[in-house]
Amino acid sequence: MGLKQIELTVNGFSSPFLVQSDEVLLFTLRERLYLTGTKEGCNQGTCGSCTVLLDGKPVLSCMTPTLRCVGKKIITIENISSGDTLHTVQKYLVEKGGLQCGFCTPGVVMTMVPFLEENPNASREEIKEGLSGNLCRCTGYKKIIDAVENAAEEMRS
Amino acid sequence: MDYYHSPSSIKDALSMAGKFSGNYTIFAGGTDIQIYRKQQLDTNEHIIDLSGIDELNSIATKEGILHLGAMTTLDEIISSDEIQLHYPLIAEAAKSVATPVLRKTATIGGNLLVKNRCVFYNQSQAWRNGMGSCLRDVGTICQVTGGKKDCYSRNVSDTAAALIALGAEITLMTPDGITQKPLKDIYLPCGIKFHNLEEHSILTQISVPIKPKKWWYKKLRLRKTLDFTSLTVAATVDINSIARVCLNGVSMSPILVEQTMDTLTQENLTRQARKNCKTVDNDLMPLKYRREMINVFLEEWWDSIEII
Ligand SMILES: Cc1cc2nc3c(=O)[nH]c(=O)nc-3n(C[C@H](O)[C@H](O)[C@H](O)COP(=O)(O)OP(=O)(O)OC[C@H]3O[C@@H](n4cnc5c(N)ncnc54)[C@H](O)[C@@H]3O)c2cc1C
Ligand code: SF4
Ligand code: FES
Ligand code: FES
Repeated sequence: MGLKQIELTVNGFSSPFLVQSDEVLLFTLRERLYLTGTKEGCNQGTCGSCTVLLDGKPVLSCMTPTLRCVGKKIITIENISSGDTLHTVQKYLVEKGGLQCGFCTPGVVMTMVPFLEENPNASREEIKEGLSGNLCRCTGYKKIIDAVENAAEEMRS
Repeated sequence: MDYYHSPSSIKDALSMAGKFSGNYTIFAGGTDIQIYRKQQLDTNEHIIDLSGIDELNSIATKEGILHLGAMTTLDEIISSDEIQLHYPLIAEAAKSVATPVLRKTATIGGNLLVKNRCVFYNQSQAWRNGMGSCLRDVGTICQVTGGKKDCYSRNVSDTAAALIALGAEITLMTPDGITQKPLKDIYLPCGIKFHNLEEHSILTQISVPIKPKKWWYKKLRLRKTLDFTSLTVAATVDINSIARVCLNGVSMSPILVEQTMDTLTQENLTRQARKNCKTVDNDLMPLKYRREMINVFLEEWWDSIEII
């Protein structure tokens, strides 16, 4: 598999660079663009920590071929807050103790932001189901779910 | 030389398949095949990514038959009002696959053609080298069965069980033309060559004729999310009282028992199912337990229809 020159649009900026033909987006983001907020957990689709938005839709960047993303808008965790103001989901994760080591947190945020936009009235059960692809080895999930519930409430009002 | 190809029509995809014959891999969502590539279990040089072919993504009902484009995502299927209302079995099966985020990328066509799995094979290259590769990889014998020359890896498609229970047909396109056949007829009882699709075939559509009178679905897995099946049972009874009970995850291909309710008994259903399943110890759940759970699930289904 050879190198290929492409242009990607990440967090509103477009730039050309070389990638391997079979590279995955997670590698491109972390190793070529140094956007290390997106985490590599399992590298096989089971932990959710590498979640990013592709044209607004959450995808696992460890499973997504980079070349599939040409011409699409990629948003990573680095672009979720507005400057110093955290996104509501981030704010409540901090306030409610929804993180400990924080490794899973970018993935949780990138999964829950589009989830709450799509399901503003999600019940606690639905939030749990929505989070069921995000593994956290620290919190025991309860406080993450509490935080998302609070965020949903604030986003509705 | 380009290795990654993103055709925008089926015709282009087929001509690429012809051009790179024997050395290409089709990517639908890529949520299954990508791991085989990472683990060097798929090393073809060319990738043909079907995600740019819009004509393959559709949900439509014509003359009472539901047609699903092969690239329709599982999430689109679960969210479809038409499917929730008239084909809840399909929605239920799709919802039991993988995780919510994966289902936004995973397609129905990819799920029907998901590769067979085995705990001795679906591992990293280092693991396989340490253990000694089996015959499905570069070795010469099956590790699970202690030396047999056949592969018993399991078909794990949850939606295949549901769609076979619904009598679904599929449409395949090759450079020579279009063929249609019952979904159940594509699966082969072999862990390595688990389907009989001709070379250069692209699965384009799934058609579902039956709106069953009754349906039932259950999946056995370690966790309620994420895990592949250890046993999936999908069952329907149609207006003519024909029962279609399909088991998957316990043999090299889905196992269908199709019989009129007039003659079917719980005992002969269980006997037929157990006889046709070539279940071996290649899953995270122990063999004895999985075999026992076949009886348990079939009994639960039987009790559920007797109550209705
Ligand atoms: C964490 C995790 C959990 C999972 N859990 C489950 C589960 O519970 N149940 C389950 O069944 N699967 C599961 N999967 C596997 C996979 O996500 C699903 O099977 C998914 O539906 C596959 O669809 P896809 O579009 O991603 O297929 P792909 O990976 O793109 O393709 C699968 C196979 O089908 C071939 N193919 C796909 N589309 C076509 C076509 N139109 N024509 C010809 N060939 C084609 C590909 O070449 C490939 O060999 C899981 C995967 C992960 C990573
Ligand atoms: S069933 Fe045997 S041959 Fe098949 S993948 Fe497992 S160990 Fe290998
Ligand atoms: S790193 Fe992608 S899902 Fe775990
Ligand atoms: S906070 Fe440590 S993994 Fe979730």
